[in-house]
Amino acid sequence: MIVIFIRHLLQMLALVAMQVLVCNYVHFMGYATPMPYVVFLAYFSLDSNRVGNMLWAFGMGLLIDSFSNTPGEAAAALTLTAFVQWPLLRAMAPKECAEDMVPTYKSMGRWNHIRYLFILALVHHVTFYLLESFSFFHLTETLIAFASSLLFSFVLMLLLETLRHGK
Amino acid sequence: MNNLLDWIRTWGHWLTFLLLETISLVLLLRFNAYQGSVWFTQANAVTGSVLEWQHRMIVYTHLAEVNRQLTEVNQDLQSEVDVLRHRLQELEHDSSQTERALAERLAGIRRIPAKVVANSVRDKDNLITINRGEADGVRTEMGVVCGTGIVGIVSQTGRHYSIVLPILNSHSSISCRLKKTEYFGYLKWEGGSPLRAFIDDIPNHATVEKGEMVETSGFSSVFPPGIFIGKVRRVLISDDGLSYKLEIGLSTDFARLTDVSVIDWKAPERTDANNQPEDSTLSNP
Repeated sequence: MIVIFIRHLLQMLALVAMQVLVCNYVHFMGYATPMPYVVFLAYFSLDSNRVGNMLWAFGMGLLIDSFSNTPGEAAAALTLTAFVQWPLLRAMAPKECAEDMVPTYKSMGRWNHIRYLFILALVHHVTFYLLESFSFFHLTETLIAFASSLLFSFVLMLLLETLRHGK
Repeated sequence: MNNLLDWIRTWGHWLTFLLLETISLVLLLRFNAYQGSVWFTQANAVTGSVLEWQHRMIVYTHLAEVNRQLTEVNQDLQSEVDVLRHRLQELEHDSSQTERALAERLAGIRRIPAKVVANSVRDKDNLITINRGEADGVRTEMGVVCGTGIVGIVSQTGRHYSIVLPILNSHSSISCRLKKTEYFGYLKWEGGSPLRAFIDDIPNHATVEKGEMVETSGFSSVFPPGIFIGKVRRVLISDDGLSYKLEIGLSTDFARLTDVSVIDWKAPERTDANNQPEDSTLSNP
């Protein structure tokens, strides 16, 4: 229990640091700011606590918001994603897997896992950019920013997962 | 009682979800109204110091280039000093009335030097974080300038850090005037290039030339009059066709801002300027 808590804490701090020190300054082609921190939600195991997951996501969102001057945006988006993550993992987990399964390439199957990551990224980015569009002015620019950022984040998330589990 | 526990067990995640989302949205909406949510922004001491540390690292990597530039500037200045010293000897004279007035006006202004620790130019509402706060005497609604001209207005202050609303923000509106003819208007930024802003509502009987200087008007208590803003780059006709809209090339390169100073200026007693436009950090639709 404590081990998992500390592991999540370190994972969260590492991802937040990566976002606020590096990713926030990337504006690929002027639009795409990657937000690979969503991958944090894919670290929760099958038997994790739903409310706990949402609290983790909310806390991480607040941290990121504090550093990027977007109070509430990442927090709202991550909380919603965590809310969806729980039933989603249940629906996508293989039938005969362990009860405390941690989603990886091996435990879920390659395509299933990639799909899982993509849906998490999609839910997060849709919410994030919807909230941002309250204050943004151009529809096309928001759409381009949304799509390019989603693609960029997704690629980085796959990369992070590959690094985490080896080949 | 059991019913209640059962109910919480079944619906607890919905409760948590709604609670957390409500907190997020309250934060989001409050911040957009530009009220003090210093805690969850870059003006918070912890985030501020992390960003300052990061900025120092980045600045360090640019030192070679900065050194080269400084040497160049130094040489230029040295030769200029030589020329000027020579000319001064030829032209020793009493200072004129206007020079004395200008010196008097600038003498009373306290400047608080600050470093930029975080900055953006690509968003629609850019913000700058500086490493001086209430403890150093920075208050909201103070003006911020740098060596090349105007920067913006302090919008939120923490103890050691503050957030500045630069010209490059859709909420920024700076009262300014043309130096030669003294027609005044609001300086607004409409997104896009960080080197370009616009002034609306210059009457179309005014004669405006390209390259004319634009400076602060001094109609407010934020900036003293006469601080350089930029030069007229193009003269356009406004949407309603009744006035000129001026495209201004800003003198400050916001993308490379490092050293700024906050100015603590008290406006002199207002007389005829009572109904002139004021600088503001709010959008007036």
